[in-house]
Amino acid sequence: MSSNVIDEFMPLFAPKTVAVVGASTKGTALPNIFIRRIREFGYAGAIYPIHPTAAEIDGLTAYKSLGETPQPVDYAYIAIAAAQVAPLLAAGKGRVRFAQVISSGFGEVDEGKALQEELAAAARAGGMRLLGPNCLGIYTPRGRVTFAEIGPREVGEVGIISQSGGLGTDIIRRGLNRGLKFSGLVSVGNCADVGPTDLVEFYLADAQTKVIGMYIETAKDGRRLFETLRDARARKPVVVLKGGRTQQGQAAAASHTGSLAGDERVWLALSRQTGCVLVDTLDEFIDALLMFQTLTPHPRHPTQRVVLFGNGGGTSVLATDYFARLGLDVLPFGQSAIDALAAMKLPPGTSITNPVDCPVGTLQQDDGRVAEKILDVIYARGSPDALVMHLNLSAFVGRTKNEVLDNLVQAALRVQEHHPGKAHFVLVLRSDGEPKLEERKREFRARAVELGIPVYDEMANAGHALAALQAHERFVHARA
Amino acid sequence: MTAPSELISQARKAGRAALDEQAGKALLAAYGIAVPRAVVVGGAAEINGVLAGLTAPVAVKVISPDILHKSDAGGVKVNLRTAAEVADAIRVMMQQPAIAQARIDGFLIEEMAPAGQEIVIGGLRDADFGPLVMVGLGGIFVEVLADVAFRICPITRVDAEGMLAELKGAAILQGARGRKPVPTAAIIDTLLKVGGDDGLLMRHADEIKEADINPLIVSDSGAVAVDARFILT
Repeated sequence: MSSNVIDEFMPLFAPKTVAVVGASTKGTALPNIFIRRIREFGYAGAIYPIHPTAAEIDGLTAYKSLGETPQPVDYAYIAIAAAQVAPLLAAGKGRVRFAQVISSGFGEVDEGKALQEELAAAARAGGMRLLGPNCLGIYTPRGRVTFAEIGPREVGEVGIISQSGGLGTDIIRRGLNRGLKFSGLVSVGNCADVGPTDLVEFYLADAQTKVIGMYIETAKDGRRLFETLRDARARKPVVVLKGGRTQQGQAAAASHTGSLAGDERVWLALSRQTGCVLVDTLDEFIDALLMFQTLTPHPRHPTQRVVLFGNGGGTSVLATDYFARLGLDVLPFGQSAIDALAAMKLPPGTSITNPVDCPVGTLQQDDGRVAEKILDVIYARGSPDALVMHLNLSAFVGRTKNEVLDNLVQAALRVQEHHPGKAHFVLVLRSDGEPKLEERKREFRARAVELGIPVYDEMANAGHALAALQAHERFVHARA
Repeated sequence: MTAPSELISQARKAGRAALDEQAGKALLAAYGIAVPRAVVVGGAAEINGVLAGLTAPVAVKVISPDILHKSDAGGVKVNLRTAAEVADAIRVMMQQPAIAQARIDGFLIEEMAPAGQEIVIGGLRDADFGPLVMVGLGGIFVEVLADVAFRICPITRVDAEGMLAELKGAAILQGARGRKPVPTAAIIDTLLKVGGDDGLLMRHADEIKEADINPLIVSDSGAVAVDARFILT
């Protein structure tokens, strides 16, 4: 089955031919922008504008219908008035693989419900799969096709399904800033035909995809989604951001059970039974995806003990509390680790139990080599499942050479190499919003993510992402 | 014994949206869930000095398609020890306003379950996900604190164990504050009979809209479903 779903969906993720419906000769409509964007993104296949009268659009030969293009169409991008779409699809005469209908005015409004039925029927009759309607498009770096103005150019390993186009755009743009790289993002809109489960099946089978993220509001095919995720046994992490979870159970329920059920309960059940990780906010969603993109889960010893290492005493105390609430332990070291750290005779103000509070003076000593020795002791004797290095950049300003931050990260990576598979390494770069500092943080973050380190803005973000990793690891540990 | 699907189709033929108590219990019994031994009588005159082979104490409950909440209508009387007490209880019930006005199908006389922990097990057909199963501790835990756990059917034994562990009142099952631990194996067994692979909710996924087994009384002698309601689709 898995090779079938790949064969079926690859024309969507790497189309050889793209038809664009709705572009105007003036070059200002959304489909004209789409043509420009995919050209800029490096799309090298054939582009067929479809237009009832024009001979040429944006310098490309135009065709009168989807049935008249030189080659069959792998992917059609359609943004015309709702009522015109069904007849357009019917004219495709079975020569279209995927039609993505951007237009709205269908099932999301009462008067469009019948039109959506008609649309789905036309797609079925034409033997094509339908995406949307009421969506924004697809972003697929491997196929060099994108609806988004900006986004990572590289092909990555994060596969996204979004029931909101706007949120899909946010995910791509924030991902660009945070170092996420995608194997694809599909805005699925009203899901008249292709639904979230179809794409989950694709991403599960797709060798390019390592982690799956899904923003979902309604799962009409919930039963199939449950069965698909259950049978996958969390072999790839799945992060779910569910909108509308607070909707109450049926008001008219006749039983206790009916009045107690609600979306929140059902999705919690889904997560418990399938190992998918539920998150509450877009930030948590991005943070968790970044964690799964960069780190390899340790299901044999799920993350439990966390060591905090960095500058900022109050920050580590607060983080210890916050992590505890998330089910992560920041526990004092045993005697052997404390003895080894005490023997190093670190400068005053350095705490040698967990959390390890190191003033900038200690961190920059010997160009960061002291930090390397401390980390080595922690890895060897402190039994960490994860180490969070937190650096308050404000405290480094004007006191250190620029290389100190790089040295610290290099030191941490060398320690990782000495103790392979021992602990997850997570970096928190704290700043205060001062523009120059933010700029420095941005550059540094980009370099760290390149090295495969997940970087977070605050301890709480890192905590939630580690909790997501822990949930996945525990499920696989218990069930696989 | 009537076959499970027969119980449901009989209720439908009678134009009912729900199974009455004996039909509900017969459905549970068909899936191997213990229900109290019981007889149905038409009225006080049928008692005839014997409890028809039941062991006291017994409970009497009115059976009527018009009465949703039997206790509220005065249609439940418990801890009756003799035939005379049962006959009296039925006579008193028939004078309750809500019962006097209702269609009466009879009276259910059943053995009382041994004392134990009250548990609620529920079922629900979700429009998107299909049958769901629920568990909670009885009384205020369900009704006030909404301390329940749901799973999508079919559930496995690991799921059933996870459901109990997820309850905020889970410590009570372990025997908190010097109380006796509750035999959770009996709860898990019942959950699987209701929500498991071949369980009641999967077999009747298209027919049952909502279900409450409330209470299921769990003691060292096992789990007994003392009341059950099934709302049909």
